[in-house]
Amino acid sequence: MKAARVFQLTALLLVFVSVVQVGWWVFDQHSRANDKVRQDRELYSQQAAAGRALMEAGVPAERIKAMLPNLAVSGTAVVLAPGILSSLEQEQRKRLYQYLWEGGFFLLALCVCIGVIAMALRAEARVVKEQDNFLALVSHQFKTPLASLQLSLETMALRALSPEQARTLIDRMLSDLARMEAMVSQILESARLERGQVDLKREPVRLATAVARVVSQLEERASSDRISISTQIPESVEVLADPLAVDVAVRNILENAISAVAPVGGGTIAVASRCSAREVELAVRDSGVGFRPSDRTRLFQKFTRLHAGGGSSYTGTGLGLFIVKGLMQRAGGRVSAHSEGLGQGAEFVLVWPLAGEPT
Amino acid sequence: MSEPPKHILLVEDDPHLSAGLAENLRAEGFSVDMLSDGQRAVDYFGESTADLIVLDVMLPSMDGFTVCRTLRERGTNTPVLFLTARGDPADRIRGLEAGGDDYLSKPFHLQEFLLRVRAIVRRWTWYQKSSEAPHSATLRFAGNEVDFRAFRARSWNGVEQELTEKEAMILKVLAERPGEIVSREDLLERVWGYDVFPSTRTVDNFILRLRKRFERDPANPQHFLTVWGVGYRFLMDGQA
Repeated sequence: MKAARVFQLTALLLVFVSVVQVGWWVFDQHSRANDKVRQDRELYSQQAAAGRALMEAGVPAERIKAMLPNLAVSGTAVVLAPGILSSLEQEQRKRLYQYLWEGGFFLLALCVCIGVIAMALRAEARVVKEQDNFLALVSHQFKTPLASLQLSLETMALRALSPEQARTLIDRMLSDLARMEAMVSQILESARLERGQVDLKREPVRLATAVARVVSQLEERASSDRISISTQIPESVEVLADPLAVDVAVRNILENAISAVAPVGGGTIAVASRCSAREVELAVRDSGVGFRPSDRTRLFQKFTRLHAGGGSSYTGTGLGLFIVKGLMQRAGGRVSAHSEGLGQGAEFVLVWPLAGEPT
Repeated sequence: MSEPPKHILLVEDDPHLSAGLAENLRAEGFSVDMLSDGQRAVDYFGESTADLIVLDVMLPSMDGFTVCRTLRERGTNTPVLFLTARGDPADRIRGLEAGGDDYLSKPFHLQEFLLRVRAIVRRWTWYQKSSEAPHSATLRFAGNEVDFRAFRARSWNGVEQELTEKEAMILKVLAERPGEIVSREDLLERVWGYDVFPSTRTVDNFILRLRKRFERDPANPQHFLTVWGVGYRFLMDGQA
């Protein structure tokens, strides 16, 4: 913050000094041009006086013209040749415009340079801030399952438990470990995506089967949060994609939907496909907390969490939708989100190229 | 006749942590209600009461600090133990300023959690019991009148005062021993517990607040006297 303020003040000072310098430069050049014009005018009037004196002394007009080419001799009159004064004034204007253009360009170039440097510094500051947020968020996200793990272990150490109670605690600990493992995978996945290290296959994937597999794995968690998941996908619909990427994308979207519906005390998640001539859309509609339409693009940025109250500590790292977007783009597909507003539910749509014709 | 179990409201959105804490609290003899949402925690006190709220900070719909602040504004003085993954000093201070009584960072030791819960419940029980009888529910001195049950007071100049839970508890400790010297450490232990605040300066700040509320000339106190290097002495009738 302090460094940014120093940069702003330095840039402002530099622009101010440059404007003064360029102003002085234009003024100085303008004065010199005026002096030059004034001297030339005096010289010409002296030449005209000399021409007239020569004429009165009886020097032939041809001779005077040869000696003083700036003069026009007509009969007994000796005057400055036409156009001499106007060309002088033209020269004066031309130089002034030249200095103004050059000075203006110099100032413009300076401002552009400062702008480019400022943008680079801002981008760097944003990266540093993102990294700080990332560390804070990741450490926060790990602390909750860690606390749960520690609590379960200390409960086992402190109390005499029945085999059933011990079993419950062991299941809880395994689940906490699975959560932490999933978070580590997400973090690594997003890092790989950002470095472009993900090679995706393109092969026909049966969408109904892929979705059913993910739903079956999430059903227990959904039902404990009083959420029912319905699917409506024709068996024969196949998309052209990487099977693993489809699994990751569908899982993230469904987990996101569960996290959005759980805080409102349960509800529904409807998964349905729509086919066009060349594409397959998979729409996941939930009756959860929804989001403000203005937050639609922010959803897919890294570390974005829109839950009111700072977000639930049970939800992910803020990387899930970022990963989905990255994977979908690399697979030649896309993802979009829509909500009427807070409390209105949301719809996420995944789109892949069609691989097989629907029945 | 045995006393009913002390009741704890546990507001935590992580289901594992919530279940684990509830099981341990029940094993210690407490009765527990569990909620996973900030707004519902606020609504809960419309119909129910509790002896302690164990409150997570990052909650859906309303964060823990706002929950605590809202409850205090609505006159709910139930003690709050914050439980959060954010353990830096700034957050700790925010929690205490919001009206919290104690703060525990995740991950934490179960024994320490239970120790703190017991300490807060003990202090709260002492305060409630010592304010039960009509003669101890009200304190009158030098034209001031304090209602310990309602956390309200009317000062000598007729101004109505809303007391915070801590102010009322300090006043209670001092009023129980009029004329005696009460050390800062004693006040800290009776009102806050052992290690919530790093220094006894906090007690001094609360005494200043009490003087502003109840002394005619807070700069020359007649009732809340400082005993240099030791603590405080409370005089009902003022300094002779």
